[in-house]
Amino acid sequence: MDATDCQSCSVEFSDDEVYLVDQNDEEDYYASGSISKLQFRKDVSKARWIDELGMAEVVEKKGKMWTTTGIIRNGNTYCSIEETLFLAEIGALLLLDDSDTSLSLKDIYEKVGKEKIGCCWPLFEVYRHLKSLGYIIGRHGVPWTMKVSTGRGVNNTGDFVSLQGSPETNGVMGLESREESSVIDLFNNLQIHEMRLVFDVYLPNSKFKKSSPGDPSFVLCLTGVYPPSKAEIEALERQCGSIPLKFCHVEYGRVSFFSFDKVKLPVLP
Amino acid sequence: MAPRWKAKGLESKALADPMSKIVLELQASLIRFEARALLSGCSALLALEAEQTNLLNRACFGRLIVTAEKDKHWFHLGMEEAFYLCHSLKCLKIIGEDNCPMNDEELWRDMKSKKGTFPEFYKAYSHLRKRNWVVRPGSQYGVDFVAYRHHPSLIHSEYAVLVLSEGDDDANGRLRVWSDFHCTIRLCGSVAKTLLVLNINKNGQGTVSLSCLEHYDVGERTIMRWNPEHCQEDQTIGENGIK
Repeated sequence: MDATDCQSCSVEFSDDEVYLVDQNDEEDYYASGSISKLQFRKDVSKARWIDELGMAEVVEKKGKMWTTTGIIRNGNTYCSIEETLFLAEIGALLLLDDSDTSLSLKDIYEKVGKEKIGCCWPLFEVYRHLKSLGYIIGRHGVPWTMKVSTGRGVNNTGDFVSLQGSPETNGVMGLESREESSVIDLFNNLQIHEMRLVFDVYLPNSKFKKSSPGDPSFVLCLTGVYPPSKAEIEALERQCGSIPLKFCHVEYGRVSFFSFDKVKLPVLP
Repeated sequence: MAPRWKAKGLESKALADPMSKIVLELQASLIRFEARALLSGCSALLALEAEQTNLLNRACFGRLIVTAEKDKHWFHLGMEEAFYLCHSLKCLKIIGEDNCPMNDEELWRDMKSKKGTFPEFYKAYSHLRKRNWVVRPGSQYGVDFVAYRHHPSLIHSEYAVLVLSEGDDDANGRLRVWSDFHCTIRLCGSVAKTLLVLNINKNGQGTVSLSCLEHYDVGERTIMRWNPEHCQEDQTIGENGIK
């Protein structure tokens, strides 16, 4: 046995500061002009905001992003507030109200965080962060495409009955995730946004089809004021089944993502 | 993160010299030597001769105390190390402050009274050691332990370990707030270690007697930051999330 074997364990201390992982430091953020990386679109789609649904119905589609944005109900495409706002921010969507007046960005910002809409500012920041990188994002448990039964929520002329955003409307649109249907209103009314499963996320994929999206790459959980406990993590994992779970935390406009994976350390030789 | 061996050929060297075998040799040697350590506060002081010194270093227990004595080597052992050698490997006797050998129960009570988190920390330490991982103090990295696949001269440690206890009585109090989270993960990342959380579940057993220990469970979870910028189209997801 040579000398190294007899070394005492003080050799371990050479580990310090091996390398610094890429961190999105403040200096880099302001210096690199990341704001200017957004590409403003020339093709502008049009959608009409429907208060009762808390969604926008797309009336004119331009550009390729519609393969990965919006849900389809009876052949029509609807966008959630986060999808709507994202597209409006980059100038790819003109949003109209029910009298066909165009809504400003300010009008749309005001909608985020309203009751029954299922969103909040941090959630939008997460959406925007991932969407900008090409990820495909849907609300957790909400099918990309569905045929809704006529006769509920739709009158003879095909207009939606004004149901003030009641659970029936949400049920018709398939917006209620199957597991959470009984607590949707509760979540929307929480003052402090508690930890919950928010998005089904797919890796960037040019072959994505709403008609057969497959399983998401992971489900995203938005965390609250405190980091999740072991019990909370386990409960959420059970809800997701075999699909991986990731957690995100938004603070001061910065979004961080974490995995808390169960492991089994091997028995070494 | 994959294991980082310090040089070419060290991985096969480690395979040829498994830690389990080294520890067995250490155990046999300490028993033959009738090793005795002096308990002093939270430390145990152990004097060894050449053969035991060699094995203790190879198995990576304790820290050498540099002294002028030529025929003896003095080592400092931490609480978990001392208890492991004494209780688990049964190759060390601990002499108490009254100059009498302590039995395991006495030692358990004594260590518990000095460090309230000792039961959980010991469970975590022995959980890893029994799987032949090398376990060293982690305080310079702001964690409880660091775990190596083999001797630190051969490989960098992969895991920075935090010991958490089930329930609200978690005296270790780590990762309760986001700032601690961000801080710990950033530090682990900068020294290329994965944060490993060992959740100790006492299963309602408490800590009164040493026998409670065998009813504790250890849950292992890694906590890793995921960077969405580092992902390519149609990349498959590995076990620990997207790489």
